[in-house]
Amino acid sequence: MSKHFPKSVNRLPLQIIIYLFVISGLATAAVTYYMTPKYTRVGYAPVQPVPYSHAKHVGELGIDCRYCHSNVEKSGFANLPTAQTCMNCHKIIKPNSPLLAVVRKSYETNTPVPWVQIHRVPDFVYFNHSVHIARGVSCVECHGQINQMEVVGEAKSLTMGFCLECHRDPAAHIRPRDQVTNLDWKASSEAEQRKMGEKFVHDWKVNPPQSCSGCHR
Amino acid sequence: MKRKIVHPAPSARALSGPNYWRSLDELQGSPGFQAQLEREFPEGASSIDGVDRRNFLKIMAASFALGGVGMAGCRRPETRILPFGKSVEGYIQGLPIYYATAMPLRKSAFPVLAETHQGRPTKIEGNPSYAPYGGGTSLIAQASLLDLYDPDRTTGHYQNGAKIDAAAVNQILSSLNEKYSANQGEGLAFVATESSSPTRARLVRELHKKFPKAIWSEYEPISDEAPLEAAQAVFGKSVKPVYQFGKAKRIVSIDSDFFQSEAGSVFYAREFAKGRRVTSKDDDMNRLYVAESSFTLAGSMADHRLRLASSHMLAFAAALAAKITGDSSYDKLAQGLDIKAGWIEECAADLSNNKGRGLVVAGAHLPAAVHAITYAINASLGNIGSTVEFLEVAETKAKSLASVTAAIAKGSVSSLVILGGNPVFNAPADLAWANAQKSVGEVIRLGYRLDETALLASVNIAEAHYLESWGDARTVDGTIAAIQPMINPLFGGLTEIEVLARILGESETDSHVLVQSTIGKLTDGSSTAFDRFLHDGILADSSYPRVPVEYNGEGLAELVAKAPKHVALSKTNLEVRFAADSKVDDGRFANNGWLQECPDPITKIAWDNAIWISPRLAKDLGITSKGSALQVVRDETEEFEKGKQMARVAEITLDGRTIRGPLHIQPGLSDYTIVIPVGHGRTHAGRVGDNIGFNAYPLRASHAMAFATGATLTLTGERQVLANTQEHWSMEGRDLVREANLSEYRENPGFVKEVGMESESPSDIGPEGEKMTLAQRNSEIPRGNSLYKTPTFDGVHQWGMSIDLNTCIGCNACVVACQSENNIPIVGRDQTIRGRSMHWIRLDRYYSDGKIDGAAFGGAGNHEIPEDPQVSLQPIGCMQCELAPCEMVCPVNATVHDDEGLNVMAYNRCVGTRYCANNCPYKVRRFNYFDWNDKKLDSLYMGPLGEHGMPELVQMAKNPEVTIRMRGVMEKCTYCVQRIENGKIQWKVQATREGRPGDVAVPDGMINSACQQACPTQSIVFGNLLDPKSAVSIAKSREQDYALLGYLNTRPRTTYLARLRNPNPRMPDYKSLPLSRIEHDIKSEGSAEKSAGSEKKEAKS
Repeated sequence: MSKHFPKSVNRLPLQIIIYLFVISGLATAAVTYYMTPKYTRVGYAPVQPVPYSHAKHVGELGIDCRYCHSNVEKSGFANLPTAQTCMNCHKIIKPNSPLLAVVRKSYETNTPVPWVQIHRVPDFVYFNHSVHIARGVSCVECHGQINQMEVVGEAKSLTMGFCLECHRDPAAHIRPRDQVTNLDWKASSEAEQRKMGEKFVHDWKVNPPQSCSGCHR
Repeated sequence: MKRKIVHPAPSARALSGPNYWRSLDELQGSPGFQAQLEREFPEGASSIDGVDRRNFLKIMAASFALGGVGMAGCRRPETRILPFGKSVEGYIQGLPIYYATAMPLRKSAFPVLAETHQGRPTKIEGNPSYAPYGGGTSLIAQASLLDLYDPDRTTGHYQNGAKIDAAAVNQILSSLNEKYSANQGEGLAFVATESSSPTRARLVRELHKKFPKAIWSEYEPISDEAPLEAAQAVFGKSVKPVYQFGKAKRIVSIDSDFFQSEAGSVFYAREFAKGRRVTSKDDDMNRLYVAESSFTLAGSMADHRLRLASSHMLAFAAALAAKITGDSSYDKLAQGLDIKAGWIEECAADLSNNKGRGLVVAGAHLPAAVHAITYAINASLGNIGSTVEFLEVAETKAKSLASVTAAIAKGSVSSLVILGGNPVFNAPADLAWANAQKSVGEVIRLGYRLDETALLASVNIAEAHYLESWGDARTVDGTIAAIQPMINPLFGGLTEIEVLARILGESETDSHVLVQSTIGKLTDGSSTAFDRFLHDGILADSSYPRVPVEYNGEGLAELVAKAPKHVALSKTNLEVRFAADSKVDDGRFANNGWLQECPDPITKIAWDNAIWISPRLAKDLGITSKGSALQVVRDETEEFEKGKQMARVAEITLDGRTIRGPLHIQPGLSDYTIVIPVGHGRTHAGRVGDNIGFNAYPLRASHAMAFATGATLTLTGERQVLANTQEHWSMEGRDLVREANLSEYRENPGFVKEVGMESESPSDIGPEGEKMTLAQRNSEIPRGNSLYKTPTFDGVHQWGMSIDLNTCIGCNACVVACQSENNIPIVGRDQTIRGRSMHWIRLDRYYSDGKIDGAAFGGAGNHEIPEDPQVSLQPIGCMQCELAPCEMVCPVNATVHDDEGLNVMAYNRCVGTRYCANNCPYKVRRFNYFDWNDKKLDSLYMGPLGEHGMPELVQMAKNPEVTIRMRGVMEKCTYCVQRIENGKIQWKVQATREGRPGDVAVPDGMINSACQQACPTQSIVFGNLLDPKSAVSIAKSREQDYALLGYLNTRPRTTYLARLRNPNPRMPDYKSLPLSRIEHDIKSEGSAEKSAGSEKKEAKS
């Protein structure tokens, strides 16, 4: 037997196995942390063509969500306001502000303001806003504290797991229907939320779909 | 620490492009990847001191590598939301808007509702305001949507090959007006199609006044002038018949396919189904006698069917009239009739015993003499006024195509205006129309595509589709229907009335205003009345007036003289029957992929046409292959390449003209009649329709447009494979379609339980299950669980479907409606041959001739293609089995069951194992072998190297409510889950708004599946099984209810109602059992005794 390999090579298989475990562990951790929607989506707050501040309009001035997002109670798609909706006030208020130039141009020429979409689910998921509003799910559950955001960012990951958390336990997340657009509302305590939620689930026969047909068509 | 992400401004194209999309991936054409990369650069880059090129590039490269991994480099693709600048009234994104309109087809129109999403129509439904059609549609109405989005439609106006603009077109039309106003229209000729539009009629009257010397002709390759001609001769009035099938108890059809081919077929089918439906043993049922040469849907429904050549129908009608009226002057017309003795006698006796409740109809293609005799029979039986009514119509003053051709030959036509139609393709061969058209100096054609006629025209004006035009039309009974546009003309097309108005030099040429003025004259002229007209889709009480008629036999002799002479047929003297193709009609829909791919309901051939020959003729020619009869083992590879029958190609010669095409042996044809569907073999239809099938028009001459005798057939020795989707025609004695005669049903209403495998074994659901109500049975799982743990059926609804085989006529409207609603792609001819068509619901068609013996697999029975079979039809979609065999075998759990009983398919999870399709006993699962949507159908096997990209126009036809599936994904009928979910959501929202948030169960009738809504006979019933009053619960509690292959313990939610036949015991071809039952009894009992006797009952208990 010739001596081709030094003795240290005897430990090589064990080293390889250990390193493989370590590396795959690291890779898994890295992927799980950095490449899942919780990291990649949450915090996405792109610059919009118009520096619209929800904190000002909703938080300070108290405009209801539905004034602009008018179809959220009627259809699956919560619309963005047309320039006409903005001009309802801004014809009189700050009519010459340079920050609103894009809106004015859109209104005059009837071309759209190119808002960047923030909250997005894949095309094979069919989410319907109107039924959630009707069943007491508040905007804040999925969109976060919009009324405090200067620039809207994605507050939740909007993954299927996120949706199922609520679908499996609606009592923890629903509120009286007249408080749906009151983003600061909170139940007085967790127990109170649970009690109230259970009552709504019972009275309204809330049965959120947990099967694939609920969202995937 | 927030990272400032500035997306680059969208390109100009993105902002100015049409706003079709719900999501805006397509509009992404944003600046390059590098630019994004620089902006999305991680903090590291900016903090590098003194960035030098090498480091910069190193980090760029790293980011580049990581960018694809979803990290800092390319966080997410940018999408934009583009709201309107000015708000649009009544527009709610995400909700469809429905508009009433009408689809015009020759002299009648279908009133429809068009469902529009984001401003474009995506689905056609029937308009329930029009009571005779009751919301049902036909195959062609459903498919007409795809024509709007046809990428081969003309995209502009052309003059001598060069594109011209709208102003130039207006100039051309008004110059016509100037030129011919001077000489009263001499030299001007029009070739138009038939139309029922009151506005066009008004303009044509103007035309006759303004240009009295101009020739106005109308030409349709499939026309129904004969009934009108006959009525004029024997009633002396300009009337047309409309049949009330719902009031008729005994119906005789003389070569009339009133289920599909005749105008008003949706009305007739619906009414017939009312008389056919049997819900309890005390119900009455109508009886249908059919004498026909081809095999049509009417023949498949017939209780007694007589195979008779179309040219012999005159003799048949005369014989029937002789028996019924007792008038012996009909006897000499009935000479030469060679049929079974007693057939006509008993049929006549049956009709005579049901005076006033019978009906005799003749096919519109038969000579006027036959119609006149039919009127005489109906008059004699007192049917006129009850089952057949005559409506007064305006006399048509249009000339024929032949007179235009003659005028062109004389040289008296200097300008020819062709409005729609395609005379170069479908004119009778003896006119040599193409040469005639070429010889005219100025040919202006208004057409939808640059087809065969357009190639020989100097000016081609783009025509607007009915979904983008203003217009009006009349339905079959004369009710005026509105045609309103869903979308602006996509390519600036003009409507026919607009073109006519411009040629006439009218001051008002806008179609909208023209229609308003026509309707204004018929109502009080207010805009409210017009709005109501548009809202309802029809104008109330506007039908043709019913008039009383008196039969006067003196006019008959003249008609008989014009009719073709009766000749005996043989294999050297064949009759050719030119039939409109059941899908592409006269060829106008040849480029419609949905129609081409939909199999013909009787032959089951898709994509091709074939020459249908009878089994007798096939035997005479010696071309019946043994393998074609034997259903299971196919040894003869010469006959069956790729496992598909290689049809022999033959040449048909008639009067010196010859065509060639593949032969299809069609059971049930009259012995020496060959049926040739016209409309295929187009050369300039578009990418779908070109070179599909063969062109039959060159064989047709003006004197014999529907049928001709004297043809010969010679085999060429060549073979061609036909895309036949169902070659296995025998049920082989199994109980797939359970049938009984009405008499047996009345004696033993529960006969379905004694047929089939379930009758031989204890019940699947056990004795407790048998005692449960329907609702209980469908929410618990009594006995016999599956290996796979099914979810508890505790949903608020439990969905189920019942299909009544007694009223299903096999029209295929459900097939195309499903395709339209669910974005089902077409796969092309080659893939259809491989059996990969994607229809979620299919129509199975079986022939039974009663000949089978116990050893069906290779035994002596069932070895001949039946010459005179009975046909059984069965629509099959996913059964949504409660114990679904497909669910337990999916390795990735992509197909699961939900709590409301639906078998759900999650496309994104499917990896394409196809085990589920393997395990499905009904074979209703369809697999996307290729990306049918993205790749071109003729380069599928080139994979990524092939051409891809769906034209934007075709993308517009897709329904945004349903996912579009890609390659490698399994799909199947979902009971229209998008409609179910949308229905539940809208109900909850509405109930909440009205203060009843706990009211979550959707009432019956609010959620309709696409197939249910399209069905003209209401054979498909769908709804909630937990509601004992729902239509589906009532249907399933009928005694004829059975599950297909129920013995497999799949517990399908779709069940069938057995078919009943109502034969006349006195008829010579009467059998006490339907032929399929005879086959079943021979196979399972060993002999065909009446199985409903008490002997059977005792044996079971």
